[in-house]
Amino acid sequence: MGWTIGVDVGGTFTDFYAANDESGAVHVGKTSSTPSNPAQAILTGLSDICKQHDISLDDITRLSHGTTVGTNALIQRSGDTVALITTKGFRDLLEIGRQTRPHMYDLQRDHPVPLVDRENRIELEERMDAQGDVVTAPAREAIEKAIDEVIKTGATACAIGFLFAFRNPAHEQLVAEIMREKAPHIALSLSSEVQSEFREYERLSTTVLNAYLQPIMSKYLQTLEDGVSRQAASATLGINQSSGGLMSPQRSRELPVRTALSGPAAGAVGAAHVARQADRHNIITLDIGGTSADVALIRNFEVDVAFDRDVAGFPIRLPSVDVETVGAGGGSIAWFDRDGLLKMGPVSAGATPGPACYGQGGERPTVTDANLLLGRLSTRGLLDGDMGLDADLSRAAYQPIADELGFSVEKTARGALGVMVANMVRTIRTISVERGHDPREFVLMPFGGAGPLHARDVAISLGMREMVVPAAPGIVCAQGLLVSDLKEDFVVSRRFALNDAGIKILRDALAYLNKRAAIWFKQEKAPADVRMLQLVVDARYVGQNFELAVPIASAPSLGTTDIRSANELHILFCDSHETAYGYASPDDGVEIVNVRLSASARLFKESDPVADDASVLDGKPREHRSVFFNDDEAVETAVYSRAELISGQTINGPAIIEQLDTTTPVYPGDSATVTPHRHLIITIGEGE
Amino acid sequence: MAAKLDPISLEIISNSLRSIADECFAALMRSSYSTNIKERKDHSIAIVDREGKLVVQAALTLPIHIASMGGLMRCVLDKFDGDIHEGDIFIANDPHTAGGTHLPDINYAMPIFVEGALVAFVCNIAHHADIGGMVPGSMAGGMSEIYQEGLRIPVVKLFRQGTLQTDIMDILLLNVRVPEERKGDHNAQIASCKLGARRFNEVIDVHGLDNVLEAFDEIMSRTAVRMKAAISEIPDGTYEFTDFMDGDGMGTMDIPICLKLTVKGDNICLDFTGTSKQVLGNINTTLNAVQASACYALIGALDSDMPSNQGILDVVEIICEPGTLLSSVFPAPVAARAHSCQRVIDVVFGALSKAIPERVIAAANGANTTAVFSGVDPRTGKPYLYFETLAGGMGARATKDGKDGVQVGITNTSNLPVESIEQEYPIRVVEYGFIQDSGGAGTYRGGMGLRRVLKPVDHECVFNGAGERFRYKPWGLFGGQDGGSGRFLIKDKDGQRRLDDKPGEVQVSRDDVIIVETPGAGGYGSPEKRDAKAIELDQRSRKFSDSYIEKHYGGNANSSTEERQ
Repeated sequence: MGWTIGVDVGGTFTDFYAANDESGAVHVGKTSSTPSNPAQAILTGLSDICKQHDISLDDITRLSHGTTVGTNALIQRSGDTVALITTKGFRDLLEIGRQTRPHMYDLQRDHPVPLVDRENRIELEERMDAQGDVVTAPAREAIEKAIDEVIKTGATACAIGFLFAFRNPAHEQLVAEIMREKAPHIALSLSSEVQSEFREYERLSTTVLNAYLQPIMSKYLQTLEDGVSRQAASATLGINQSSGGLMSPQRSRELPVRTALSGPAAGAVGAAHVARQADRHNIITLDIGGTSADVALIRNFEVDVAFDRDVAGFPIRLPSVDVETVGAGGGSIAWFDRDGLLKMGPVSAGATPGPACYGQGGERPTVTDANLLLGRLSTRGLLDGDMGLDADLSRAAYQPIADELGFSVEKTARGALGVMVANMVRTIRTISVERGHDPREFVLMPFGGAGPLHARDVAISLGMREMVVPAAPGIVCAQGLLVSDLKEDFVVSRRFALNDAGIKILRDALAYLNKRAAIWFKQEKAPADVRMLQLVVDARYVGQNFELAVPIASAPSLGTTDIRSANELHILFCDSHETAYGYASPDDGVEIVNVRLSASARLFKESDPVADDASVLDGKPREHRSVFFNDDEAVETAVYSRAELISGQTINGPAIIEQLDTTTPVYPGDSATVTPHRHLIITIGEGE
Repeated sequence: MAAKLDPISLEIISNSLRSIADECFAALMRSSYSTNIKERKDHSIAIVDREGKLVVQAALTLPIHIASMGGLMRCVLDKFDGDIHEGDIFIANDPHTAGGTHLPDINYAMPIFVEGALVAFVCNIAHHADIGGMVPGSMAGGMSEIYQEGLRIPVVKLFRQGTLQTDIMDILLLNVRVPEERKGDHNAQIASCKLGARRFNEVIDVHGLDNVLEAFDEIMSRTAVRMKAAISEIPDGTYEFTDFMDGDGMGTMDIPICLKLTVKGDNICLDFTGTSKQVLGNINTTLNAVQASACYALIGALDSDMPSNQGILDVVEIICEPGTLLSSVFPAPVAARAHSCQRVIDVVFGALSKAIPERVIAAANGANTTAVFSGVDPRTGKPYLYFETLAGGMGARATKDGKDGVQVGITNTSNLPVESIEQEYPIRVVEYGFIQDSGGAGTYRGGMGLRRVLKPVDHECVFNGAGERFRYKPWGLFGGQDGGSGRFLIKDKDGQRRLDDKPGEVQVSRDDVIIVETPGAGGYGSPEKRDAKAIELDQRSRKFSDSYIEKHYGGNANSSTEERQ
């Protein structure tokens, strides 16, 4: 009886999702986070959930963990001194970036100051050309002098980033080799290892971020590994990456920057899992929390991946789940702009003081207050009685705005939610339309504490007709960790024309990448039957300066025969271009700039859903209350407890479905059906 | 007409319109060919009403483009009154007859019809990498007539009721270098128009035509009210400022830009009387570009979150005599108008510094330093053209230093990665960094200029450039010192020497090196009041030399020592 456990560390709570490999039984748990040492909450929560559900700690075979240690360190800039060795003449590159300012009109706002101070950026006389041929080889004395300077800075980590190191890493490797001899105590990050792709600023920024995080992550993982091995000796630890797969603790020490955007990634992977269970191929996720909402696209059960992201204002170029964040959540505050328009967010009441209805001193009208005023939220509050909500305080908060508008408080609240929905719709449009997809062909999947409350208006605005509300919308992230594959990405950055000669280069690249993947599979002890490879090329029309990632083959093993002819790949590229950008130029030449191989090993085994225990479920409403949906009048509405619903049961709106972590309104004319995995499928009626 | 829209419905409709503009912006960026558009985002999107008034711009729209859309629209409406049909797409670029600001910026406008009635236009502007003319890139100096700068496109219909006028497209493409790439740019602009029109119709379906049209008027009038409120915060008075352009590259030097800015209640008037007559060289601007620049400066100083639309343009009165540098008329060349636009911004800040000192910044690099390399790639035998504008210092602010090496004012275009340059062009970048001592000293110091050193690899090439503030340095405010000036240099077998400030057709031999240095920026407040820690950082980072620090802050160290004692 093996158990695997997903642990998602959030700002307020650490969530647990435990699944039994054989019986399919699942349990969820929650404990308060311990931000100063996140490992503490993990270890406490782990023993709590085991005690509570009679799980023997020795039966835990795997612990999958999503950490925000890296992200927080970057936001708070809490790391130690870090140094950089770079090509002579280019130490300011890290500071110049792309020479832009973050806001066109704002004279006061700047990009963040680099993580490496200028005096700690050491230049070395060396140079490669665009083909990776040596122009200037670094002299041994010069290297040693540079290393001495690094040592003098007192840095605990050092990034090494040279121009064209993605073509030829020899100079970076040479410096690293000497440095490991001379200064073994300094952690090293090489741009050719962290992110071996062209565009020096983004590569350098990613490498510096990695170096900055190395000491922090190393210390954190040590604490965690020690604790886990004491408590659950048989458990292997997997750390979640921004790309939505797991890596070993050793890889995380080497490449901590890969965790920097892993928070939203777990949610998207969890959503993809729910999508498979609900048999809905194309999903737009909407994860609404207290201060922000995350949106991601899932196509054919796969999460979209992007390469250009940033964290705390620093660009990161690594495969990352393509999640767009908008500053709109339950705590978002309603306010009048200087031109008299009503805005929602991005300012949020946060956890303290929180929305007015929390009674913790918040006086400004928030999204949560609006939901309470409309009856969509219960005055008993989310945690089912733990913390009641005071609708009078919400009313008092909205009254001034209502007076200003000459509206009733309820109409004002509905309008405020409409504005919030408009913000989210804009974000969803950005991520779907920019990528060439029509949201009407997708199903909306709301989760997070506030997702299901607003999803219906979002769906209507985007012309979507169906929604899936996961069984446990509050812990989709922890669930995502549990079901994540072990994953590693390899890349060869080469620019070559897509023609017969190019196919040969592509085949050589695949052979090289295959070798690296094989080594990795072996290191990670991944059995052959769970392996999967995906070959992707970043390609563009000759003269374009923006690449399109085109998947060209996917199978448990890939050989040269899996690479089709230049002609076929050309057509494949044109089709992708047509989808993404709305046109193709079939007569134009195509070139490839990166060849990527993504290797994954499936860890999670899907089991059948556990049958309902009919003796405790009755599927009947527990009460009725009056709720405002889209009319000016409230309607008497049945309120159900999610935990009491029966698989296969259909509830016709108007209805409210409450559960521990969220509330789902079913609008008049809509209907909700419970799936065998206890997800809710909501079909939007034709009435509107 | 429907009842007056409430602030909630208005916000929701306005949000939908902004969403259209942003989508069109992304679509144009992603599908174009020109690196100017793709990597440097030198393009813009707008929705204008049926009278040509600007309602909504994409969030990332360049400030310079704000007025150009309006200029185009006036010409479309004048010329095609009664002859605008569904499926038409208008195109133009000419500054003197079609509302453009310089030839490489090609404007597109597509009318939108609902039940047979014209209701709005979706427009875009994109900077093409070449529009023909004497010199590759179509941005070079040394020309005295607009004819030499490239193909002039009056307002014409590129599409008539849905049909592409292939003869017009043929003329456009025959007159530009690398036509196959420019065709891709045109396709991207066309697709962006069509996407906008489709989205606009969806918004009408949801909110109703009457409501959307009412929202148009409300958005503009509320912004006008907001702008007026911001202006009324400026103390009444008349504030004057004069600055000088270095030269036009054709022999005219020390070209004055004079401003008399008058505020009375919520009215503002910018009177540029006294500014130089238009010049022979290409730094002339058209009035609409000046309008865009002046409004940029006002928004930046007063209320940087203000929506950018006609409401602002209507409130700000600008007086500029036709035939002058800032309101040039045919046949003035205007390719490098950005230099003068940048200077207009400095001049507006200079005048405002006397009224609202805490809200302006000292003079920035005030230029649009341009470097263009062209030749034949020895690896392929094909001609190439590498064009780039380089950032410089940002003026110091009332509470902090100016940013180093950053785009300022009306432009915010990215640099091209060194690894892109070297992969695509036979050029090597030897150095790219800050210029020591280029940020003017002050309580808060000015930002630093950039130095980029380049050389051709295995061939000879031609260099063209254009710089400003190479002689008239970026000034400081309230005791802040001037920032460093920029320059172009060549290093050849005879050693290193300075090139013209607007060098044209410089032959660069195999082993020669071109050095581009951009201006820094002025400081703010007396250097004596600079924080000791900040001085220490200036020194430790080696952004400033010991001698510079000794010269400008020499007294500070002593005074802080005395305080400690």
